[in-house]
Amino acid sequence: MLTVSCPNCGADVVFRSPALPVKVCDYCQTNVMRVGDELRDMGKAAVLPFDVSPIRIGTSGRFDGQGFDVIGRVRWGWSDGSWNEWLMLFGDGSHGWLGEAMGQFMVTRERALDGVRTEMFRHLASGGDIQVGESGELDGVEYIAADIKQATCLAAEGELPFTAPAGWTIDSIDFRTTTGAVASFQRDGEEANLYLGRYVELGELKPQDLREITGWAMPRFAA
Amino acid sequence: MSRGGFLYGLWCLGIIGVFLAASVYGYSPFANGGRAAPRVGGGYYGPTHK
Amino acid sequence: MSEGVQPAPAPAVKPLSCPACGASIELRAAGYTVTLVCPYCSSVLDTANPDVGIIQRYSKAARELEIPLGTRGTLKGVDWEAIGYLRRSEGGTYPWEEYLLFNPYHGYRWLVTDGRGWTFGTMLTESPKYGGSDGLIVDGQPYKSFFRNGRAQVDYVLGEFYWRVRQGEEVETADYVRPGFMLSFEGNEEERNWTLGELLDGKEMAEAFGVDEPRKWRPGGPPPLPHQPSPYAGSASTLGKLALLGIVALFVLTLIFGGSRNEREFEFSVTPGGGEVSRTYGPVSFDRPWQAVTIKAQASGLENAWVDLDYALVDRKSQTTYAAYAIAERYSGRDSDGAWTEGSRGATTKLATVPAGEYDLVVDASGQNWGFGGSSGPVPVTISIAQGATFWSNFILAVILLLVPAIIVLFRHARFETARTAESDQGSALANMMQGDEDE
Repeated sequence: MLTVSCPNCGADVVFRSPALPVKVCDYCQTNVMRVGDELRDMGKAAVLPFDVSPIRIGTSGRFDGQGFDVIGRVRWGWSDGSWNEWLMLFGDGSHGWLGEAMGQFMVTRERALDGVRTEMFRHLASGGDIQVGESGELDGVEYIAADIKQATCLAAEGELPFTAPAGWTIDSIDFRTTTGAVASFQRDGEEANLYLGRYVELGELKPQDLREITGWAMPRFAA
Repeated sequence: MSRGGFLYGLWCLGIIGVFLAASVYGYSPFANGGRAAPRVGGGYYGPTHK
Repeated sequence: MSEGVQPAPAPAVKPLSCPACGASIELRAAGYTVTLVCPYCSSVLDTANPDVGIIQRYSKAARELEIPLGTRGTLKGVDWEAIGYLRRSEGGTYPWEEYLLFNPYHGYRWLVTDGRGWTFGTMLTESPKYGGSDGLIVDGQPYKSFFRNGRAQVDYVLGEFYWRVRQGEEVETADYVRPGFMLSFEGNEEERNWTLGELLDGKEMAEAFGVDEPRKWRPGGPPPLPHQPSPYAGSASTLGKLALLGIVALFVLTLIFGGSRNEREFEFSVTPGGGEVSRTYGPVSFDRPWQAVTIKAQASGLENAWVDLDYALVDRKSQTTYAAYAIAERYSGRDSDGAWTEGSRGATTKLATVPAGEYDLVVDASGQNWGFGGSSGPVPVTISIAQGATFWSNFILAVILLLVPAIIVLFRHARFETARTAESDQGSALANMMQGDEDE
């Protein structure tokens, strides 16, 4: 737990995880990045638009036997909609992403691209393009490209592993499988990241401290 | 058990009951013969003791 | 490690004003909704971006719906709000309606109806697995193909949706069913989706959203829904088990009460053409209050002749008479096909309901020759009388009566299934049965 002063507005900025270098100042939306002992102002994140997501910063739960806390969020948009990616901090200090779109949830964790041999992913990592329907196998699972789009970072809050400036654009490709597993590939010109995971039901995560929404009763699975 | 199942069970018991009754009485609608008028020509059958 | 102070509850709706007509409208799934149709002017609005854009401007009032948008109902223990409405059809014909239901903690569901019933649908996150020819498997359950190569087009849109719905947009469809459930596929170049729908009980839906219960299927009326379970299927196995139990019970009873005992025999001769012979055998006593009596006759050596036998079982005390008739006959000869024989030298007669008592059996026998080569001499006839009889005819009659309701149910079930599968692209159940299911 580290409390510092926002380099832009001076308000208290609390970092809970040593592994996550960025926190969006709750008051002025500046991306505050820790580099060693230094604090850097990395530009503003946009204010989040209103939504009725049941998740909020402070929500906690369990996934695959590990407890997690939601400590950050990035909201991405594309021509036909937008979605949230919530940052999950696990008990062992590692992190993952809780993706939320169309009322469906998925949990993914980054997979280092260096070790990945799949032709399709290597091609994407080196800047190549693929088409919807193309597939590749990784660890015995066949991933089929289901949608390819350009996504823009709309807004961000909380702690993040990277800075999320407003207007940041990436290529985003989602893969589906017959087992409920998912893969997500993101590239912004220089950097490429691969995330692997699966669809989850919100109840499966045994969530606590979900966001309260007026007029809607808390679900039974959120004790 | 469904209502239909229950009613059918009663129907089966009914059939079995009637069958049982017929068996006890040695009855069958397909039997060849039954009660008839006394034989033409009369006559008494069986030992007669004077 | 929770965050500290619990923030204030978020509002459930976001108010906005329609850029086309200026009316105040409420956005119920803010953050998810991409398309919103203004309920006042029917203009199609783009809510993907913070600035609400107009996709299609109209100026007519929205249609009245069976479930007004904004209505909430409880299904499967969860509250749902109807936020979107679509009317779709197969190229303009066979229209149906779809309501998009929303709950921020549970996501989206669909309510689909075409007047015959309500189906509650959930979008799947896993594609179905292959399950044999014309079949798919989801969650271990098999689904059979029902509709193939369908095309669904959007005819009318109202409310909120999480994708860009356009009037006239088309998708390819396919449907698979199992009793009570329908697995539906929809796709075009950009997207492919699978939805699993559960047929709701009429009462459940009426209680949840106040709609009328759909009419029960009647033969001759509109066909049942593709995934409507046969109202007779459930009872079929119960009836089958009961019928089997009943038949076994009847069989056992036949054996228990059947059989004959205390068989007594006597013999005499009769000459064909030689006039009537009368013999009396007694006493024969029957001790059960009531019993059947089996009388057997055997005329050995009978050839091309017959013997008429009149039986009279007379109670010694009351002289009540039980009469029966039997015939022993035997004919043989040669013709173009070779040698032939007909008739039986033995005859079995069963008397029913003979009360206890001492009886005499009076047999009046007369023989006649038939054609040539008949026995000219005396024919020995052996008569046996026994207490009790096995009436397999009773058993068969009882089994038939037992099965009548089961057969009626089976017939009705077949009629339902034929009507249900008549719409299918796979052909009707009857046609498939006739064909012998060659793809199996």
